[in-house]
Amino acid sequence: MRISRRAVAMATVLAAVLPLSACGGGDTGTEESSDASGPVKGQISFQTWNLQANFKEYFNGVIKDFEKKYPDTKVRWVDRPAEGYADKLSADAAAGTLPDVVNVSPDQLAPLTKAGLALDLDKDRTAAAFRKEYLPDAWKSQQIPGVEGTYGFPWYLNTGPMFYNKRLFEEAGLDPEKPPTTYDEVFDAGLEMARRTDGRVATLGQVPTIEDFGRYGVQLVNKEGTGFAFNDAKGVEMLTRYKELFDAKALDPQALTATPESTGSKFLTESVAMNPGSALDLENFKKQAPTLYKNIGITDQVTSTGKVNMYVMGVMVNANSQQKPAAVAFAHFVTDATRQMSFAKEVAIFPSTQGSLDDPYFTKEDGTDETRVRIAAAKSLKNAVNYTPVLFSEQMKTELRNQVAKALQGKVSPQEALDRAVEACDKLLKQS
Amino acid sequence: MKSTIASRAYPPDPAAAGLAPRSPGSGRGPRRGPGSGQGRRISRQLPFSPWLFAAPGLLVVGAFSLLPFLSTVVNSFTDRRVLVAGDYVGLANFRELVHDEMFWTGLRNSTLYVVCVVPALVVLPLLLALLVRRNIPGIAFFRSAFYTPVVASIVVVGLIWVWMLDDRGLVNSLLETVGIGKIGFLSDQWLLLFSAMAVTVWKGLGYYMIIYLAALADVPRELHEAAAVDGAGAVRRFFTVTVPAVRSTMVLVGALSSVAAFKVFSEVYLMAGPTGGPAGEDTTLVMLVQRVGTGLTGRVGYASAISVVVFVVTVALMLLVLRADRKEDA
Repeated sequence: MRISRRAVAMATVLAAVLPLSACGGGDTGTEESSDASGPVKGQISFQTWNLQANFKEYFNGVIKDFEKKYPDTKVRWVDRPAEGYADKLSADAAAGTLPDVVNVSPDQLAPLTKAGLALDLDKDRTAAAFRKEYLPDAWKSQQIPGVEGTYGFPWYLNTGPMFYNKRLFEEAGLDPEKPPTTYDEVFDAGLEMARRTDGRVATLGQVPTIEDFGRYGVQLVNKEGTGFAFNDAKGVEMLTRYKELFDAKALDPQALTATPESTGSKFLTESVAMNPGSALDLENFKKQAPTLYKNIGITDQVTSTGKVNMYVMGVMVNANSQQKPAAVAFAHFVTDATRQMSFAKEVAIFPSTQGSLDDPYFTKEDGTDETRVRIAAAKSLKNAVNYTPVLFSEQMKTELRNQVAKALQGKVSPQEALDRAVEACDKLLKQS
Repeated sequence: MKSTIASRAYPPDPAAAGLAPRSPGSGRGPRRGPGSGQGRRISRQLPFSPWLFAAPGLLVVGAFSLLPFLSTVVNSFTDRRVLVAGDYVGLANFRELVHDEMFWTGLRNSTLYVVCVVPALVVLPLLLALLVRRNIPGIAFFRSAFYTPVVASIVVVGLIWVWMLDDRGLVNSLLETVGIGKIGFLSDQWLLLFSAMAVTVWKGLGYYMIIYLAALADVPRELHEAAAVDGAGAVRRFFTVTVPAVRSTMVLVGALSSVAAFKVFSEVYLMAGPTGGPAGEDTTLVMLVQRVGTGLTGRVGYASAISVVVFVVTVALMLLVLRADRKEDA
């Protein structure tokens, strides 16, 4: 087979050019928010984040009810997979094809707001009237530091307990009925377990995240809200303790590259003794790891501040929507107390609407593990904090994670690692 | 000008131009071949006809490769972000690259990938092709087996290897059984990178083997026979007959595999995770492009600057391979 030099050159130039094809950006609209009062009519699109697989019937029912209430409307529902959701949002935003109503988390809402794509609900008379229906802290969670206004309807809240393996605790000589609930207790128990099992059983499977720093009591953002501050003495203290765990193999050796999914698998295969989760996980344990399920222990989320972490989901309205009255009406309809309550009965989430958490569903025991977890979580939510700073982007998470990994490997000191992480995050914050 | 081209391209009498059947019995279309009038007329009267044939391909390449490429080059001089159109910043992105520790880590890993993977992908598939080219019973099974990784999904392949190399995976269980003990394939920075290289080589073997099989089919049997008569053994025949005969194919394989190796993404991403291994130490340049340039806060301008560097290095690599080939020719 004769291959000419020119053919080789052409093939390789083409191969070299192709990787550059992916880099492109787009201009986005920065249209001013306009009032959403007016007749609720027209076709709108509604995008959710990986909810179709399990809740197709529920959402079809919500849409049907909405279209019945407003007969001149039509809702087109699209669902996107969990993986790459932010990329999908950015592609749609750049192409000007963002749906009218979009399910977003606060960290996704921040860049969309800064790009002028989220409707300011406080400025919109129709939307602002709904404010009193939501918990004040939940409403605040949809506000972006440095930008005036509220840019999304609060949707469901989530928090979860800490699961632990009673058998592993018992084998390591620890009391399975007294699991650790503060970070210091976790560190002590972890070192003890690693010592007694000769490093075979790790207590934790993941490196600390920004939420861990928050729950340890570290100040995450400076008082002015203009930069990050997690490199304070408390932060260094926490990372130093994590390094002790890592050196003693009380933190899984693969933690430096672990994802929540891979750590979950390690907990299922009983190679990690503790793992955070949600009430949803119990069903998973029952099906996939019956042996683990028999030995499962459930305790409060680990925190040294007395406050647990809370995840907030929101629903934003596209500021450039052509059917703003219908979009606002639907965003409110999906997130109102009735819909949130019925959604909470479908899946282990918690409503962000006033009074919903006092419903007997979240307060009355029925003797099952699921209810016990639900009631405990609902109780802790009243005092919960969303520890993830709204402006903490994916790139910032990677910066922090990489520096934490360097400290755990001993390549840099905990202080130096956190200083570098803060410097990198501040730089990214300025560029955002 | 337009009418001139039109009149030249479409003569009034299609039959006279050889574009229509001359008679019911003369066949369905114009005669073909170098001596036919039709062939001469088309080459004379439609000077752009070759471009018309190439147009669909050119349009696709232009729209999906060249235009984005040009856009990337332009973006590399701006501070454009995913949701915000940027301003011209000159060489600021390139200056930032020089001081970016992660960029140098990516450049080191991508270069190391080329250095380790390319020799393996030039030599091993050739040896494999030599093994399977003989027509012996059951050889089709081995050819298919060696080719199977090529058609397998990289995600599936990656997950299988992750499962095998995990601390509690198949490989470590075997190592523990024979008393060697666990090896942190997925937790050590270098072992992780070399494991990803092994997957790349394993997955690419079959593809390049097929290219070599085609090249080996062109090597005259007489040359091997003559060398054998002269007393050359198998190794000698390999170096004096086979290698010179397939050298241009080796250059092609070297050039293609070096470009592919420098652009590696999937294998490392799947095995080292989205962070690029412990502390991001296994990040490659293309992974860095993905990390920096995507997401709602992605820095398109900076990611474009990294992409331009990837382009320059891959073109340089290709020129290097071709130059080495030319030197050998001389």
